Amino acid sequence: MNALFRYHSALLLRSQRWLPPVLVYGALVAVGAQPGDPVLDSLGYAAAALLPVAAWLARICATQEPPAARHVTAAATSPARTHLAALLTAAATAAALGAAGSALVMAMSDWWSADHRTPIAPVPGIVAGLLAVAVCALVGTALGALCTWPLLRSPGWSVMVTALAALLAVVTPGSPAQVVVTGLITGSRAGTAPVLVLPLAAAAVLAAAATAGACALTSRRT
Amino acid sequence: MHLTGVGRRYGALGPWVLRGVDLDVPPGTLMRVSGANGSGKSTLLRLLAGIDAPSEGRVTGRPRTAYVPERFPSSLPFTALGYLTHLGRVHGLRSAVATERARAWLERFGAAGHARTPLRELSKGTSQKVAVAQALLAEPELLILDEAWTGLDVDARAELDRTVGELTASGVAVVYVDHDPRRLAGAVDAAYRVEGAALLPDTGQVHEPAPRVTIVARGRAGAPLPAGLPEDARAELDAAGGATVTVPAAHSDTVLRALLRAEPPWHIRAVREPEAEPSPLSYADLSYVERGAEDR
Repeated sequence: MNALFRYHSALLLRSQRWLPPVLVYGALVAVGAQPGDPVLDSLGYAAAALLPVAAWLARICATQEPPAARHVTAAATSPARTHLAALLTAAATAAALGAAGSALVMAMSDWWSADHRTPIAPVPGIVAGLLAVAVCALVGTALGALCTWPLLRSPGWSVMVTALAALLAVVTPGSPAQVVVTGLITGSRAGTAPVLVLPLAAAAVLAAAATAGACALTSRRT
Repeated sequence: MHLTGVGRRYGALGPWVLRGVDLDVPPGTLMRVSGANGSGKSTLLRLLAGIDAPSEGRVTGRPRTAYVPERFPSSLPFTALGYLTHLGRVHGLRSAVATERARAWLERFGAAGHARTPLRELSKGTSQKVAVAQALLAEPELLILDEAWTGLDVDARAELDRTVGELTASGVAVVYVDHDPRRLAGAVDAAYRVEGAALLPDTGQVHEPAPRVTIVARGRAGAPLPAGLPEDARAELDAAGGATVTVPAAHSDTVLRALLRAEPPWHIRAVREPEAEPSPLSYADLSYVERGAEDR
Protein backbone atom coordinates (compact mmCIF):
# COMPACT_ATOMS: atom_id res chain seq x y z
CA MET A 1 0.00 0.00 0.00
CA ASN A 2 2.92 2.27 0.80
CA ALA A 3 4.43 1.74 -2.64
CA LEU A 4 1.05 2.27 -4.32
CA PHE A 5 0.50 5.48 -2.36
CA ARG A 6 3.96 6.69 -3.35
CA TYR A 7 3.28 5.81 -6.99
CA HIS A 8 -0.06 7.64 -7.07
CA SER A 9 1.35 10.68 -5.27
CA ALA A 10 4.24 10.86 -7.73
CA LEU A 11 1.77 10.48 -10.59
CA LEU A 12 -0.35 13.36 -9.28
CA LEU A 13 2.63 15.58 -8.51
CA ARG A 14 4.48 15.03 -11.79
CA SER A 15 1.40 15.17 -14.02
CA GLN A 16 0.67 18.69 -12.68
CA ARG A 17 -3.02 17.84 -12.69
CA TRP A 18 -3.06 19.12 -9.10
CA LEU A 19 -2.43 22.65 -10.33
CA PRO A 20 -5.98 23.69 -11.42
CA PRO A 21 -7.75 22.59 -8.20
CA VAL A 22 -5.02 24.16 -6.06
CA LEU A 23 -5.27 27.43 -7.99
CA VAL A 24 -9.06 27.44 -7.70
CA TYR A 25 -8.83 26.80 -3.96
CA GLY A 26 -6.29 29.58 -3.60
CA ALA A 27 -8.50 31.97 -5.56
CA LEU A 28 -11.61 31.06 -3.53
CA VAL A 29 -9.80 31.60 -0.24
CA ALA A 30 -8.21 34.84 -1.44
CA VAL A 31 -11.59 36.23 -2.51
CA GLY A 32 -13.55 35.04 0.52
CA ALA A 33 -11.14 35.55 3.40
CA GLN A 34 -9.65 39.04 3.61
CA PRO A 35 -6.87 40.02 6.02
CA GLY A 36 -8.41 41.31 9.23
CA ASP A 37 -11.68 39.38 8.88
CA PRO A 38 -12.97 37.50 11.95
CA VAL A 39 -10.94 34.29 12.07
CA LEU A 40 -13.78 31.78 12.54
CA ASP A 41 -15.78 33.22 9.62
CA SER A 42 -12.73 32.93 7.38
CA LEU A 43 -11.97 29.39 8.58
CA GLY A 44 -15.55 28.35 7.83
CA TYR A 45 -15.26 29.84 4.38
CA ALA A 46 -11.90 28.17 3.71
CA ALA A 47 -13.31 24.77 4.80
CA ALA A 48 -16.40 25.16 2.61
CA ALA A 49 -14.19 26.06 -0.38
CA LEU A 50 -12.12 22.93 0.23
CA LEU A 51 -15.04 20.53 -0.24
CA PRO A 52 -15.51 20.86 -4.03
CA VAL A 53 -11.73 21.00 -4.46
CA ALA A 54 -11.35 17.70 -2.53
CA ALA A 55 -14.01 16.12 -4.75
CA TRP A 56 -12.17 17.38 -7.81
CA LEU A 57 -8.88 15.91 -6.54
CA ALA A 58 -10.56 12.55 -5.92
CA ARG A 59 -11.83 12.59 -9.51
CA ILE A 60 -8.34 13.41 -10.79
CA CYS A 61 -6.64 10.68 -8.74
CA ALA A 62 -9.22 8.03 -9.60
CA THR A 63 -8.76 8.58 -13.33
CA GLN A 64 -5.11 9.65 -13.64
CA GLU A 65 -3.80 6.22 -14.70
CA PRO A 66 -4.53 5.30 -18.32
CA PRO A 67 -6.47 1.97 -18.46
CA ALA A 68 -3.50 -0.16 -19.57
CA ALA A 69 -1.31 1.22 -16.77
CA ARG A 70 -4.15 0.63 -14.32
CA HIS A 71 -4.37 -2.98 -15.47
CA VAL A 72 -0.65 -3.43 -14.90
CA THR A 73 -0.79 -2.08 -11.33
CA ALA A 74 -4.01 -3.95 -10.62
CA ALA A 75 -2.45 -7.26 -11.68
CA ALA A 76 0.56 -6.58 -9.46
CA THR A 77 -1.66 -5.92 -6.43
CA SER A 78 -5.43 -5.84 -6.84
CA PRO A 79 -7.81 -3.39 -8.50
CA ALA A 80 -9.33 -2.45 -5.14
CA ARG A 81 -5.97 -1.72 -3.53
CA THR A 82 -4.75 0.50 -6.34
CA HIS A 83 -8.03 2.43 -6.30
CA LEU A 84 -7.79 2.78 -2.53
CA ALA A 85 -4.27 4.18 -2.90
CA ALA A 86 -5.54 6.69 -5.48
CA LEU A 87 -8.34 7.89 -3.18
CA LEU A 88 -5.98 8.07 -0.18
CA THR A 89 -3.65 10.21 -2.27
CA ALA A 90 -6.56 12.53 -3.06
CA ALA A 91 -7.69 12.74 0.57
CA ALA A 92 -4.15 13.39 1.81
CA THR A 93 -3.60 16.09 -0.82
CA ALA A 94 -6.93 17.75 0.05
CA ALA A 95 -6.14 17.62 3.77
CA ALA A 96 -2.67 19.12 3.23
CA LEU A 97 -4.09 21.82 0.98
CA GLY A 98 -6.84 22.61 3.50
CA ALA A 99 -4.36 22.72 6.36
CA ALA A 100 -2.10 25.10 4.42
CA GLY A 101 -5.05 27.32 3.46
CA SER A 102 -6.36 27.39 7.02
CA ALA A 103 -2.92 28.18 8.42
CA LEU A 104 -2.71 31.14 6.06
CA VAL A 105 -6.19 32.27 7.06
CA MET A 106 -5.34 31.95 10.75
CA ALA A 107 -2.17 34.01 10.26
CA MET A 108 -3.88 36.91 8.51
CA SER A 109 -7.26 37.00 10.29
CA ASP A 110 -8.41 38.94 13.26
CA TRP A 111 -8.71 36.66 16.33
CA TRP A 112 -11.87 38.32 17.55
CA SER A 113 -15.55 37.45 17.30
CA ALA A 114 -17.64 38.85 14.43
CA ASP A 115 -18.67 41.88 16.48
CA HIS A 116 -15.02 42.49 17.52
CA ARG A 117 -15.92 42.33 21.21
CA THR A 118 -14.84 38.84 22.31
CA PRO A 119 -11.35 37.44 21.71
CA ILE A 120 -11.16 33.90 20.23
CA ALA A 121 -9.06 31.48 22.26
CA PRO A 122 -6.20 30.24 20.02
CA VAL A 123 -6.25 26.52 20.81
CA PRO A 124 -10.00 25.90 20.31
CA GLY A 125 -9.83 28.16 17.26
CA ILE A 126 -7.04 26.13 15.65
CA VAL A 127 -8.70 22.81 16.58
CA ALA A 128 -12.07 23.94 15.21
CA GLY A 129 -10.48 25.11 11.97
CA LEU A 130 -8.54 21.88 11.42
CA LEU A 131 -11.62 19.78 12.31
CA ALA A 132 -13.58 21.62 9.64
CA VAL A 133 -10.77 20.99 7.15
CA ALA A 134 -10.78 17.27 7.97
CA VAL A 135 -14.56 17.01 7.65
CA CYS A 136 -14.68 18.86 4.32
CA ALA A 137 -11.71 16.91 2.92
CA LEU A 138 -13.35 13.60 3.86
CA VAL A 139 -16.82 14.53 2.56
CA GLY A 140 -15.31 15.96 -0.63
CA THR A 141 -13.23 12.82 -1.24
CA ALA A 142 -16.29 10.64 -0.60
CA LEU A 143 -18.37 12.60 -3.12
CA GLY A 144 -15.56 12.61 -5.65
CA ALA A 145 -15.14 8.84 -5.26
CA LEU A 146 -18.86 8.27 -5.81
CA CYS A 147 -19.10 10.59 -8.81
CA THR A 148 -16.32 9.15 -10.97
CA TRP A 149 -14.97 5.84 -12.28
CA PRO A 150 -15.92 3.10 -11.50
CA LEU A 151 -19.41 4.34 -10.51
CA LEU A 152 -19.91 7.14 -13.03
CA ARG A 153 -17.91 6.71 -16.18
CA SER A 154 -19.07 9.52 -18.45
CA PRO A 155 -16.83 12.57 -17.81
CA GLY A 156 -19.60 15.10 -18.55
CA TRP A 157 -22.05 13.65 -16.08
CA SER A 158 -19.28 13.09 -13.59
CA VAL A 159 -18.29 16.77 -13.50
CA MET A 160 -21.90 17.99 -13.30
CA VAL A 161 -22.94 15.56 -10.59
CA THR A 162 -19.77 16.24 -8.58
CA ALA A 163 -20.35 20.00 -8.67
CA LEU A 164 -24.00 19.65 -7.66
CA ALA A 165 -23.26 17.13 -4.90
CA ALA A 166 -20.49 19.35 -3.50
CA LEU A 167 -22.85 22.34 -3.40
CA LEU A 168 -25.57 20.29 -1.69
CA ALA A 169 -23.09 18.89 0.85
CA VAL A 170 -22.20 22.42 1.95
CA VAL A 171 -25.75 23.79 2.16
CA THR A 172 -27.99 20.83 3.12
CA PRO A 173 -28.82 21.08 6.84
CA GLY A 174 -27.50 18.09 8.77
CA SER A 175 -24.68 17.22 6.36
CA PRO A 176 -21.39 16.99 8.31
CA ALA A 177 -19.80 19.73 6.20
CA GLN A 178 -22.77 22.06 6.65
CA VAL A 179 -22.73 21.43 10.43
CA VAL A 180 -19.04 22.32 10.86
CA VAL A 181 -19.16 25.33 8.54
CA THR A 182 -22.32 26.71 10.19
CA GLY A 183 -20.78 25.92 13.59
CA LEU A 184 -17.78 28.12 12.79
CA ILE A 185 -19.95 30.99 11.56
CA THR A 186 -22.32 30.93 14.56
CA GLY A 187 -19.26 30.46 16.80
CA SER A 188 -17.82 33.61 15.30
CA ARG A 189 -20.92 35.53 16.34
CA ALA A 190 -20.90 34.04 19.83
CA GLY A 191 -17.14 34.39 20.26
CA THR A 192 -16.46 30.71 21.01
CA ALA A 193 -14.82 28.21 18.71
CA PRO A 194 -17.00 25.09 18.47
CA VAL A 195 -15.10 21.79 18.63
CA LEU A 196 -17.48 19.37 16.86
CA VAL A 197 -16.36 15.76 16.91
CA LEU A 198 -19.62 14.14 15.82
CA PRO A 199 -19.54 15.57 12.26
CA LEU A 200 -15.96 14.32 11.95
CA ALA A 201 -17.05 10.80 12.89
CA ALA A 202 -19.95 11.01 10.44
CA ALA A 203 -17.64 12.27 7.67
CA ALA A 204 -15.17 9.46 8.38
CA VAL A 205 -17.93 6.84 8.16
CA LEU A 206 -19.22 8.40 4.94
CA ALA A 207 -15.74 8.49 3.39
CA ALA A 208 -14.99 4.91 4.44
CA ALA A 209 -18.29 3.64 3.01
CA ALA A 210 -17.91 5.54 -0.26
CA THR A 211 -14.30 4.38 -0.67
CA ALA A 212 -15.17 0.76 0.14
CA GLY A 213 -18.04 0.83 -2.35
CA ALA A 214 -15.94 2.35 -5.12
CA CYS A 215 -13.03 -0.04 -4.48
CA ALA A 216 -15.34 -3.07 -4.48
CA LEU A 217 -16.64 -2.08 -7.91
CA THR A 218 -13.22 -1.65 -9.53
CA SER A 219 -12.91 -5.29 -10.61
CA ARG A 220 -16.50 -5.39 -11.89
CA ARG A 221 -16.18 -2.48 -14.32
CA THR A 222 -13.44 -2.02 -16.84
CA MET B 1 -4.41 -21.41 -9.97
CA HIS B 2 -7.82 -22.79 -10.67
CA LEU B 3 -10.93 -21.36 -12.36
CA THR B 4 -14.23 -23.07 -11.54
CA GLY B 5 -17.35 -22.34 -13.58
CA VAL B 6 -16.13 -18.84 -14.31
CA GLY B 7 -18.35 -16.52 -16.34
CA ARG B 8 -18.05 -12.83 -17.14
CA ARG B 9 -20.47 -10.33 -18.55
CA TYR B 10 -20.48 -6.56 -18.52
CA GLY B 11 -23.59 -5.16 -16.89
CA ALA B 12 -26.30 -7.16 -15.14
CA LEU B 13 -28.12 -7.96 -18.39
CA GLY B 14 -25.25 -7.89 -20.86
CA PRO B 15 -24.42 -10.90 -23.01
CA TRP B 16 -21.99 -13.43 -21.55
CA VAL B 17 -18.49 -12.81 -22.85
CA LEU B 18 -17.29 -16.01 -21.19
CA ARG B 19 -19.23 -18.71 -19.44
CA GLY B 20 -18.59 -22.05 -17.76
CA VAL B 21 -14.81 -21.76 -17.86
CA ASP B 22 -13.04 -24.51 -15.89
CA LEU B 23 -9.32 -24.13 -16.15
CA ASP B 24 -6.29 -25.24 -14.23
CA VAL B 25 -3.05 -23.31 -14.60
CA PRO B 26 -0.33 -25.35 -12.88
CA PRO B 27 3.12 -23.86 -12.28
CA GLY B 28 5.48 -24.08 -15.23
CA THR B 29 2.72 -24.30 -17.84
CA LEU B 30 2.96 -22.42 -21.10
CA MET B 31 -0.62 -21.81 -22.17
CA ARG B 32 -1.76 -20.32 -25.42
CA VAL B 33 -5.19 -18.73 -25.80
CA SER B 34 -6.51 -18.03 -29.28
CA GLY B 35 -9.79 -16.82 -30.72
CA ALA B 36 -11.25 -14.33 -33.17
CA ASN B 37 -11.14 -10.59 -32.50
CA GLY B 38 -13.56 -9.67 -29.75
CA SER B 39 -14.09 -13.31 -28.77
CA GLY B 40 -13.21 -12.69 -25.14
CA LYS B 41 -9.51 -13.63 -25.13
CA SER B 42 -8.53 -10.42 -23.41
CA THR B 43 -11.39 -10.79 -20.92
CA LEU B 44 -10.07 -14.25 -20.04
CA LEU B 45 -6.55 -12.86 -19.58
CA ARG B 46 -7.86 -10.05 -17.38
CA LEU B 47 -9.70 -12.60 -15.24
CA LEU B 48 -6.51 -14.66 -14.98
CA ALA B 49 -4.51 -11.56 -14.09
CA GLY B 50 -6.99 -10.59 -11.36
CA ILE B 51 -7.76 -7.25 -13.02
CA ASP B 52 -11.36 -8.34 -13.53
CA ALA B 53 -13.57 -10.31 -11.18
CA PRO B 54 -15.77 -13.07 -12.59
CA SER B 55 -19.54 -12.42 -12.66
CA GLU B 56 -20.04 -16.03 -11.61
CA GLY B 57 -17.80 -18.88 -10.55
CA ARG B 58 -14.58 -18.78 -8.55
CA VAL B 59 -10.88 -18.17 -9.06
CA THR B 60 -8.75 -19.85 -6.38
CA GLY B 61 -5.06 -20.10 -5.56
CA ARG B 62 -3.90 -16.91 -7.24
CA PRO B 63 -0.10 -16.73 -7.32
CA ARG B 64 1.95 -13.52 -7.58
CA THR B 65 0.92 -12.18 -10.94
CA ALA B 66 2.31 -9.79 -13.54
CA TYR B 67 0.54 -8.60 -16.66
CA VAL B 68 1.77 -7.12 -19.92
CA PRO B 69 -0.88 -5.24 -21.90
CA GLU B 70 -0.92 -5.11 -25.68
CA ARG B 71 -0.37 -1.41 -25.92
CA PHE B 72 1.36 0.42 -23.14
CA PRO B 73 0.39 4.06 -22.68
CA SER B 74 3.21 6.52 -22.93
CA SER B 75 1.33 9.35 -21.25
CA LEU B 76 2.64 8.61 -17.75
CA PRO B 77 4.79 11.42 -16.34
CA PHE B 78 7.81 9.25 -15.48
CA THR B 79 11.10 8.25 -17.04
CA ALA B 80 11.34 4.59 -18.05
CA LEU B 81 13.54 3.81 -15.06
CA GLY B 82 11.39 5.91 -12.71
CA TYR B 83 8.25 4.06 -13.74
CA LEU B 84 9.91 0.67 -13.43
CA THR B 85 11.26 1.50 -9.97
CA HIS B 86 7.77 2.54 -8.84
CA LEU B 87 6.27 -0.65 -10.26
CA GLY B 88 9.05 -2.76 -8.69
CA ARG B 89 8.13 -1.30 -5.32
CA VAL B 90 4.44 -1.94 -6.01
CA HIS B 91 5.43 -5.55 -6.71
CA GLY B 92 7.02 -5.58 -3.26
CA LEU B 93 10.70 -4.98 -4.06
CA ARG B 94 13.00 -2.57 -2.25
CA SER B 95 13.86 0.57 -4.27
CA ALA B 96 17.48 -0.40 -4.89
CA VAL B 97 16.56 -3.92 -6.04
CA ALA B 98 13.78 -2.56 -8.24
CA THR B 99 16.13 -0.07 -9.94
CA GLU B 100 18.84 -2.68 -10.42
CA ARG B 101 16.48 -5.22 -11.97
CA ALA B 102 14.84 -2.52 -14.10
CA ARG B 103 18.24 -1.63 -15.56
CA ALA B 104 19.05 -5.30 -16.17
CA TRP B 105 15.80 -5.98 -18.04
CA LEU B 106 16.00 -2.78 -20.08
CA GLU B 107 19.53 -3.80 -21.02
CA ARG B 108 18.42 -7.29 -21.98
CA PHE B 109 15.70 -5.91 -24.25
CA GLY B 110 18.04 -3.40 -25.83
CA ALA B 111 16.47 -0.33 -24.21
CA ALA B 112 19.21 0.52 -21.70
CA GLY B 113 19.86 3.77 -23.54
CA HIS B 114 16.30 4.90 -22.82
CA ALA B 115 16.38 4.40 -19.04
CA ARG B 116 16.37 8.16 -18.40
CA THR B 117 14.01 9.05 -21.25
CA PRO B 118 10.54 10.27 -20.26
CA LEU B 119 7.90 7.70 -21.24
CA ARG B 120 6.14 10.34 -23.37
CA GLU B 121 9.17 10.57 -25.64
CA LEU B 122 9.57 6.81 -26.19
CA SER B 123 8.59 5.07 -29.40
CA LYS B 124 5.75 2.58 -29.27
CA GLY B 125 8.17 -0.35 -29.34
CA THR B 126 10.35 0.99 -26.56
CA SER B 127 7.26 1.69 -24.41
CA GLN B 128 6.31 -1.93 -24.94
CA LYS B 129 9.76 -2.98 -23.74
CA VAL B 130 9.13 -1.00 -20.57
CA ALA B 131 5.81 -2.82 -20.12
CA VAL B 132 7.57 -6.18 -20.54
CA ALA B 133 10.37 -5.19 -18.14
CA GLN B 134 7.77 -4.13 -15.58
CA ALA B 135 6.34 -7.65 -15.50
CA LEU B 136 9.67 -9.49 -15.57
CA LEU B 137 11.44 -7.53 -12.86
CA ALA B 138 8.80 -8.69 -10.39
CA GLU B 139 9.79 -12.35 -10.87
CA PRO B 140 6.11 -13.36 -10.85
CA GLU B 141 4.74 -16.89 -10.49
CA LEU B 142 2.13 -16.23 -13.16
CA LEU B 143 2.85 -14.09 -16.21
CA ILE B 144 0.03 -12.92 -18.47
CA LEU B 145 1.02 -11.66 -21.91
CA ASP B 146 -1.75 -10.01 -23.94
CA GLU B 147 -0.10 -9.73 -27.37
CA ALA B 148 2.98 -8.48 -25.59
CA TRP B 149 5.10 -9.05 -28.73
CA THR B 150 3.18 -6.41 -30.70
CA GLY B 151 5.41 -3.46 -31.50
CA LEU B 152 8.64 -5.11 -30.33
CA ASP B 153 11.55 -5.28 -32.77
CA VAL B 154 12.86 -8.64 -34.01
CA ASP B 155 15.60 -8.92 -31.38
CA ALA B 156 13.26 -8.06 -28.53
CA ARG B 157 10.69 -10.58 -29.78
CA ALA B 158 13.32 -13.29 -29.80
CA GLU B 159 14.46 -12.19 -26.35
CA LEU B 160 10.91 -12.40 -25.04
CA ASP B 161 10.55 -15.89 -26.56
CA ARG B 162 13.76 -16.98 -24.82
CA THR B 163 12.68 -15.40 -21.54
CA VAL B 164 9.33 -17.19 -21.65
CA GLY B 165 11.18 -20.47 -22.20
CA GLU B 166 13.42 -19.84 -19.20
CA LEU B 167 10.52 -18.81 -17.01
CA THR B 168 8.38 -21.86 -17.73
CA ALA B 169 11.42 -24.11 -17.23
CA SER B 170 11.89 -22.54 -13.81
CA GLY B 171 8.27 -23.14 -12.81
CA VAL B 172 6.54 -19.90 -13.78
CA ALA B 173 3.14 -20.31 -15.45
CA VAL B 174 2.83 -18.19 -18.61
CA VAL B 175 -0.48 -17.55 -20.36
CA TYR B 176 -0.36 -15.65 -23.63
CA VAL B 177 -2.35 -14.43 -26.60
CA ASP B 178 -0.56 -13.67 -29.85
CA HIS B 179 -1.86 -13.25 -33.37
CA ASP B 180 1.09 -15.20 -34.78
CA PRO B 181 0.18 -18.92 -34.53
CA ARG B 182 3.87 -19.89 -34.75
CA ARG B 183 4.74 -17.89 -31.64
CA LEU B 184 6.33 -20.37 -29.15
CA ALA B 185 4.44 -23.12 -31.02
CA GLY B 186 6.71 -26.02 -30.11
CA ALA B 187 6.93 -25.13 -26.44
CA VAL B 188 3.19 -24.79 -25.68
CA ASP B 189 1.89 -27.18 -23.01
CA ALA B 190 -1.79 -26.30 -23.35
CA ALA B 191 -3.70 -24.47 -26.07
CA TYR B 192 -7.24 -23.13 -25.77
CA ARG B 193 -9.60 -21.33 -28.05
CA VAL B 194 -12.31 -18.87 -26.98
CA GLU B 195 -15.40 -19.43 -29.12
CA GLY B 196 -19.03 -18.51 -28.46
CA ALA B 197 -18.24 -17.49 -24.87
CA ALA B 198 -16.78 -20.94 -24.14
CA LEU B 199 -13.19 -21.99 -23.61
CA LEU B 200 -12.38 -25.04 -25.76
CA PRO B 201 -9.20 -27.08 -26.00
CA ASP B 202 -7.47 -25.97 -29.17
CA THR B 203 -6.75 -29.11 -31.14
CA GLY B 204 -7.37 -27.81 -34.63
CA GLN B 205 -4.52 -25.38 -34.54
CA VAL B 206 -2.11 -25.46 -37.44
CA HIS B 207 0.88 -27.17 -35.89
CA GLU B 208 3.93 -25.96 -37.60
CA PRO B 209 6.72 -27.84 -35.92
CA ALA B 210 8.69 -25.33 -33.91
CA PRO B 211 12.30 -24.98 -34.93
CA ARG B 212 14.23 -27.46 -32.81
CA VAL B 213 17.79 -26.87 -31.83
CA THR B 214 20.29 -29.71 -31.54
CA ILE B 215 22.86 -29.51 -28.79
CA VAL B 216 25.85 -31.84 -28.89
CA ALA B 217 27.60 -32.27 -25.57
CA ARG B 218 30.08 -34.57 -23.96
CA GLY B 219 30.16 -35.71 -20.35
CA ARG B 220 31.88 -38.37 -18.35
CA ALA B 221 31.29 -41.83 -19.87
CA GLY B 222 28.19 -43.42 -18.42
CA ALA B 223 27.06 -40.24 -16.63
CA PRO B 224 23.28 -39.69 -16.71
CA LEU B 225 21.85 -36.49 -18.16
CA PRO B 226 21.58 -33.71 -15.58
CA ALA B 227 18.28 -32.90 -13.91
CA GLY B 228 16.41 -29.77 -14.98
CA LEU B 229 16.12 -30.48 -18.69
CA PRO B 230 12.80 -29.24 -20.15
CA GLU B 231 10.14 -31.93 -20.59
CA ASP B 232 10.09 -31.47 -24.36
CA ALA B 233 13.81 -32.14 -24.72
CA ARG B 234 14.71 -35.37 -26.53
CA ALA B 235 18.11 -36.78 -25.68
CA GLU B 236 20.27 -39.60 -26.99
CA LEU B 237 23.28 -40.81 -25.03
CA ASP B 238 26.11 -42.93 -26.36
CA ALA B 239 28.45 -45.16 -24.41
CA ALA B 240 31.40 -42.78 -24.72
CA GLY B 241 29.58 -40.05 -22.81
CA GLY B 242 28.38 -38.12 -25.86
CA ALA B 243 24.86 -36.69 -25.74
CA THR B 244 22.69 -35.24 -28.48
CA VAL B 245 19.78 -33.20 -27.16
CA THR B 246 17.10 -31.71 -29.41
CA VAL B 247 14.77 -29.14 -27.93
CA PRO B 248 12.43 -26.37 -29.19
CA ALA B 249 14.50 -23.27 -29.82
CA ALA B 250 12.77 -21.41 -26.98
CA HIS B 251 14.21 -23.88 -24.46
CA SER B 252 17.76 -24.17 -25.75
CA ASP B 253 19.20 -21.86 -23.07
CA THR B 254 17.58 -23.95 -20.36
CA VAL B 255 19.27 -27.09 -21.69
CA LEU B 256 22.63 -25.36 -21.94
CA ARG B 257 22.31 -24.04 -18.44
CA ALA B 258 21.42 -27.49 -17.06
CA LEU B 259 24.36 -29.07 -18.86
CA LEU B 260 26.89 -26.43 -17.86
CA ARG B 261 25.77 -26.25 -14.26
CA ALA B 262 25.84 -30.04 -13.77
CA GLU B 263 28.48 -31.48 -11.46
CA PRO B 264 30.82 -32.18 -13.23
CA PRO B 265 29.75 -29.82 -16.04
CA TRP B 266 29.18 -31.16 -19.51
CA HIS B 267 31.25 -29.87 -22.37
CA ILE B 268 29.20 -28.26 -25.15
CA ARG B 269 30.57 -29.30 -28.53
CA ALA B 270 28.00 -27.70 -30.81
CA VAL B 271 24.65 -25.98 -31.02
CA ARG B 272 22.87 -26.50 -34.35
CA GLU B 273 19.63 -25.57 -36.05
CA PRO B 274 19.04 -28.64 -38.23
CA GLU B 275 15.99 -27.47 -40.18
CA ALA B 276 17.33 -24.06 -41.01
CA GLU B 277 20.16 -23.31 -43.40
CA PRO B 278 23.16 -22.84 -41.17
CA SER B 279 24.23 -19.22 -41.31
CA PRO B 280 27.91 -18.32 -41.68
CA LEU B 281 27.78 -17.12 -38.09
CA SER B 282 26.79 -20.52 -36.77
CA TYR B 283 29.62 -22.14 -38.79
CA ALA B 284 32.03 -19.73 -37.22
CA ASP B 285 30.61 -20.52 -33.79
CA LEU B 286 30.91 -24.22 -34.48
CA SER B 287 34.51 -24.12 -35.59
CA TYR B 288 35.33 -21.97 -32.62
CA VAL B 289 33.75 -24.50 -30.30
CA GLU B 290 35.55 -27.41 -31.98
CA ARG B 291 38.91 -25.67 -31.92
CA GLY B 292 38.41 -24.82 -28.29
CA ALA B 293 37.87 -28.50 -27.63
CA GLU B 294 41.08 -29.49 -29.42
CA ASP B 295 43.15 -26.83 -27.64
CA ARG B 296 42.19 -28.38 -24.39
